[in-house]
Amino acid sequence: MSVQVEDLSYSYGSLQALKGVSLHLPPGAVGLLGPNGAGKSTLLRILLGFLSPDKGEGKVLGYDIQNNQFMIRRFVGYMPENDCIIPGMDAVTFTSFMAELSGMPKQEAIKRAHEVLFYVGLEESRYRNLETYSGGMKQRLKLAQALVHDPRLIFLDEPTSGLDPGGRKEILKLIKEISTEKNIQTLISSHILSDIEEVCSYVVILNRGQLAAQGEMANLKQLHYRLYELKVKESNPQFWQRLKEIDCRIEETEEGLIKVYMSAGKSHQEIFKIAAEEGVQIRHFVKSQTRLEDLFAKVVGVD
Amino acid sequence: MSIKERGYTHWDGKLKESRFPWWPISRLGIRLTFKKKFFKFFFFLSLSPALAYLVGIYVSERMEEFRFMVQESVSFLQINPNYFKSYLTGDFLYFMIILILVFAASGLISDDLRHNSLQLYFSRPLKKRDYFMGKSSVIVFFLFILTMIPSLVLFLMKLIFSGSFKFFSTYPWLPLSIIGYSLLLTVFFSFYALFLSSLSPNRRYVAVLILGFYFFSDILFGIFKGIFHSHYFSLLSIKSNLQQVGALFFQQKTPYEISWVFSLLVLLGVCVLSALVLRKKVQGVRIIK
Repeated sequence: MSVQVEDLSYSYGSLQALKGVSLHLPPGAVGLLGPNGAGKSTLLRILLGFLSPDKGEGKVLGYDIQNNQFMIRRFVGYMPENDCIIPGMDAVTFTSFMAELSGMPKQEAIKRAHEVLFYVGLEESRYRNLETYSGGMKQRLKLAQALVHDPRLIFLDEPTSGLDPGGRKEILKLIKEISTEKNIQTLISSHILSDIEEVCSYVVILNRGQLAAQGEMANLKQLHYRLYELKVKESNPQFWQRLKEIDCRIEETEEGLIKVYMSAGKSHQEIFKIAAEEGVQIRHFVKSQTRLEDLFAKVVGVD
Repeated sequence: MSIKERGYTHWDGKLKESRFPWWPISRLGIRLTFKKKFFKFFFFLSLSPALAYLVGIYVSERMEEFRFMVQESVSFLQINPNYFKSYLTGDFLYFMIILILVFAASGLISDDLRHNSLQLYFSRPLKKRDYFMGKSSVIVFFLFILTMIPSLVLFLMKLIFSGSFKFFSTYPWLPLSIIGYSLLLTVFFSFYALFLSSLSPNRRYVAVLILGFYFFSDILFGIFKGIFHSHYFSLLSIKSNLQQVGALFFQQKTPYEISWVFSLLVLLGVCVLSALVLRKKVQGVRIIK
């Protein structure tokens, strides 16, 4: 287990950001999902030792999050969400400086800085002043500094924000490569569901500081619920009400398509049965392919 | 094979726990300061008092040859602890220290606040103490070059020009006084500059604060002294407090008729207050409640 936490709680004054979160994350790429204020960044900050939890305990790479923060930081790379640079220097100086702070000898740090800057695609602009970098270049630079000391685990906070589609695709490819082929465990916090879906095999969903769902992506998408798309001749509020009573979640798209999220234990026959009882004519019924977006909407309760 | 074709490669070495984890921060800070516009000019200008005092020592040893030049100001050229005190407590030196702080220290923490880089430092195996050590050692480097090193060189040159150890045997405590007072100046100004640098993410604003606090405190002292004719108001002035304590270090009469203990307490108070503010301001994450 790369990360395991038990009953973790943290409050910002009266606002409880994390409420008894317990996680056991496997190796590989793990996605951390949740709407704004769900507690994703707070969790990452606690794992890095920036914040001390009010309650609970945890380990990262086998090191206790409260007593061994320096060992954790030595072996963990962190790519923060917001732009962060040290002004007045170029990318090589910046990245090698970060490597030195992690405990790498100076000459090795410079060599390694060149390598990772090439790797993240900043080879052409590695001697340019950082203040002249675009948003996308800064994202790549943050990834470079997170990788420069060859961490065993990296925390990526919104790694693709501010990137154009091409840049996003490249960064995701790099992340996928390091997490699957290079044996670096990756924890990606993002609100872009397709990014998580593309890179991660395991997903954790937080909602209002609590664990909403966690598990292998494939299992979560299949086992927890089924998604059916249907169209009816005339809408009948009683029909929708009865579907809700059997624990279905219903969404209507702009095209008039009704999405029905049904618990895994129930049969789609029940929809037909209720429709027959309520006199509703179903004109279109398809078992839809579930996506992470659907799972997210189901567990978080938002569209 | 290019790095891109080769893909990501693991590093063969082993990360080590450094005895001085703050050293890369200091080295980078000093390097970046020298890259600043006009800094080198002001830095070399700040060494001009040391040069003038060196000439003074040389002339004092060759008084016969320079008699025609120094008819009136012979008393100034008497080399004694007061000579060293006047170098280290001189208005011009203080002014140059403040100018050097404007260049070297105003952005030390404020730039990190502005560019969110504190989280980068603290996501590494670095303690807050190491961060402060790294930042303050940039100030220490420049202030030692302005205070301790020239003063000790002046002392050494006095011995060399006089060709004997008589001066040393007369004032054996003087090198310690020089080191002690230079340390006090450096520690005080380090706290002063880092404290002000942590107050704003705008380095220009911090530069104004560094200059403003220093001069405003002196102006305030002048105004109150003019109105109330009391030397106790010297406690309001950074410069006066440093001069009071300086007189103690060099065993000279204090410039104001109050105890040096009060001045020392004021300086210590500023340092303690700065330490408390710095501890609160410099965090790996900024929590907005």
